[in-house]
Amino acid sequence: MTVLIRASLLALAMSASLTGTLAVDLNGHPVEQLAPPGARAVVLFFAASDCPISNRYIPEVQRLAKEVEPLGVRFWFVYPNPGDIASVVRAHDAEFAINTYTALDTKQTLVQMAHVTITPEAAVFVPEGAGLREVYRGRIDDRYFALGRERPQAMHHDLEEAIRAILADKPVPQPGGPPVGCSIVTLQP
Amino acid sequence: MKSSRWVRGRILAIAMVATSTSAAIATRHIFAAESPVTTQPPGQAAVTWSGQIAPLVYNNCTTCHHPGGAGPFSLLTYQDALRWGPQIANVTSSRYMPPWLPEHGYGDFEDERRLSNEDIALIAKWVKTGMPEGDPTAAPPPPKYSKTWQYGTPDLILTVERPFNLAASGTDVFRNFVLPYPLKQTHYIRAMEIRPGTLQIVHHANILIDRTASYRRQHPEQWKDGVPGMELEVDTGNEFDPDSNFLFWKPDTPVLVEPEGMPWRLDPGNDLILNMHLKPSGKPEVAWAQVGLYFTDQPPSKQPMLLQLEHDSALDIPAGQRNFAVEDALQLPVDVEVLGIYPHAHYLGKRLEAWAMLPDQQKKWLILIPGWDIDRQSVYRYRNPVFLPKGSVVHMRYIYDNSSDNEHNPHIPPVRVKAGNRSEDEMAHLWLQVLPVNTPRNGPDPRLLLEEAWMRNWLSKEPDDIIPLYNLASALAGQGRHQDAVTAFRHLLALHPGDERALNELGAALQNSGDWEEAEKTYKQDIAAHPGTCDARFNLARLALKHDQTSEAGRQFRTMLEQCPSDAAVHSGVGVVLASEGQSVAAEAEFRAALQIDPHDFTALYNLGDLALQASQPQQAVGLLEAAVQQRPNDTDAHEQLAGAYALSGRVGDAIAQLREAMTLSPDNPGLHALLSQALASTGQLQQAIAERKVALRLRTNDPDDWNNLGVLEARAGKIAEAREDFLHALQLAPDHAQARANLQHLPPS
Repeated sequence: MTVLIRASLLALAMSASLTGTLAVDLNGHPVEQLAPPGARAVVLFFAASDCPISNRYIPEVQRLAKEVEPLGVRFWFVYPNPGDIASVVRAHDAEFAINTYTALDTKQTLVQMAHVTITPEAAVFVPEGAGLREVYRGRIDDRYFALGRERPQAMHHDLEEAIRAILADKPVPQPGGPPVGCSIVTLQP
Repeated sequence: MKSSRWVRGRILAIAMVATSTSAAIATRHIFAAESPVTTQPPGQAAVTWSGQIAPLVYNNCTTCHHPGGAGPFSLLTYQDALRWGPQIANVTSSRYMPPWLPEHGYGDFEDERRLSNEDIALIAKWVKTGMPEGDPTAAPPPPKYSKTWQYGTPDLILTVERPFNLAASGTDVFRNFVLPYPLKQTHYIRAMEIRPGTLQIVHHANILIDRTASYRRQHPEQWKDGVPGMELEVDTGNEFDPDSNFLFWKPDTPVLVEPEGMPWRLDPGNDLILNMHLKPSGKPEVAWAQVGLYFTDQPPSKQPMLLQLEHDSALDIPAGQRNFAVEDALQLPVDVEVLGIYPHAHYLGKRLEAWAMLPDQQKKWLILIPGWDIDRQSVYRYRNPVFLPKGSVVHMRYIYDNSSDNEHNPHIPPVRVKAGNRSEDEMAHLWLQVLPVNTPRNGPDPRLLLEEAWMRNWLSKEPDDIIPLYNLASALAGQGRHQDAVTAFRHLLALHPGDERALNELGAALQNSGDWEEAEKTYKQDIAAHPGTCDARFNLARLALKHDQTSEAGRQFRTMLEQCPSDAAVHSGVGVVLASEGQSVAAEAEFRAALQIDPHDFTALYNLGDLALQASQPQQAVGLLEAAVQQRPNDTDAHEQLAGAYALSGRVGDAIAQLREAMTLSPDNPGLHALLSQALASTGQLQQAIAERKVALRLRTNDPDDWNNLGVLEARAGKIAEAREDFLHALQLAPDHAQARANLQHLPPS
């Protein structure tokens, strides 16, 4: 099954980042630039320190990040849940040897920008004009197809295929199924 | 040599949901679609954490979901529940949690982890109405979980010496750790607890008892580091000693407590093999575990047995095949109670069924698993034993799906799959824990009849397989069908020439069938072909002992002391040799050495009891012989000796009881009736004493002592004429019987 998603132009969101309200890094500094100059794509991997499925994807996502970052793809680990404060995430990053860029989505701006609901879930953007355009949103691969139901190993690496398509200037394939994991905790007003 | 049993597990709680944030996206996400929070309609009682939800969660979830537990997060507090509430609603309504595979109504299992529809609706309602806490003071106190051993400090703790480094990612890992039993004495185990070092990565674990350290021998280079593999096979040794208990561990049942009277046993030299199903967590993990054992002094009073149906040889599943069926059926030769059941397949298993057809053609379901999932496998124990009368046929029928629609299929595109030990191979096994019931007292061990039926069924599928060939022959021998056993072992040896154990067992079967010359030849043939063998040497030594060739027996036993010094039976054997040579002190030392190794060694207990009787220490003899009788309740001699020890200790009532016990085993043994008569007479029960003596005389009419003793009893009872007849009868049989003659002279005139 191929699911089409809306390709939305996110110039406004980008400009929001420049104000320092988009997200913060582990030292509390605003994340001002999701995509460095010349980037071909930006990948946001939405994670939660207490979500087992999200954690089990960390090695796979780091492998992919390592492979494609030299080709101009910027990977971010994004923590959107209110409980994932800097100290928790720092400990979690150390525990899982995460050495990718990390952002705390304290106001869930990135969640709204990417329209994600789950950890783990990925959103891929490509630069377009002054902003970013979302071209992929969904699962990493098809290992999990429901809670408690998983394959021995993934058969389709949806996220990787999308990134490779971008790098090859080809149409971006969409995820073949829904993401499976832990819902992102809603911010209380 | 016997089959093994497998290993396999079940799921760890994974992932959960929180609240959804985007209704638009939620439509494409099957788990994120949460209904908006609604308020409680007026007039309906609110569902609250304190009121209804906490009790549900505490009863069904927190065994795993507590800090330090196997679950990925805790649900002990309201705040915890608030974090995971929508996900709880989700996974309970899909029945992913609590983990439970069997279909309700197809077997009634204890610890059924299944929420009622009402409970599930209650959780859904609670989440829908905003997860209110209610009155915190009304909430039940959260259960307490020990951070160490749940069952208290074990009597013995075995630890995985070399932990296994589990990679951060990849497929699941099945690893076998060998835990040698370090003690020099036998112990019975009433409970076992497993504590994995990192609970969250362990799906399940299974323990096998390796009686002969065979797994180490199979993997001499690897065993200390652990051996990969989902299935394993161990050699259970020479004695008929079938596995009796399921030693299956899963996170929600950390302690396995055996039913009353059914402990299991560990002997010196045994290994426990811990098979763990490990799931990568996303970071490198160290997998290890401790096994805590809780002892009991009481040997088993009931002897269950694990029985297997299987049809691995039928597993040849073409790629793409969706409904590949495998069946097996086993007719029960005795009445049994089924205590537990353990269905097992790998990733292609889809629907697993087991049932029994009773002799009256009534169908009794044993289990139905409509959606098999290897990750959630388990042993299931029946709430009440399931009675199956003799003649019932147990059936298994498993359906496999080797298409790409089977999400568990390890191969996409699918490939042809056969049986095997790797996880990507398949299996079709069904294990039952059965307790034979309504067993005739003087018949063979009913487990031997079950073994025979099992092995014949196995051979009908794999006629050349050495395991069922061997086990069948042994089961026949165990039943005392020695000539049949000789034929069966010869058949085996024709297919597998020179097999060390089969040669030894053939020798034993020949010996038991009365052909001791041929037996001796066979043992010697075995020793010549396999000089390191202890078994054939042991049997040869015992044969020599039986034929009063004590020096030959001593030579063989002493050779064995060097080859197998940890064998209690060898020390007992040397003790018997020494005792027969009159070296009581040295004999006693050897018997004591045997008991050091195995406090339940019958030969040592019996002979030490005998030595104590000879040394006029009847009370010491009583203790030893009571222990011997406990080991072999069907041994007439042991009962008789114990009766003697009681009598010498002045416990004539106990002696009479023992003799009666012995007589139920050997009702036609005249000596027992004579002894009972003597004991009864000493307590003044003259008429009963006379009756027993007469029974003895019916069984052996020509014993002058019996006639003389009957005469004495009759005389005491005032039956002078009868007494005179008895003494005369004794003198007729033995004209120089001095006592009879004296008694006759002392009789008053009639």
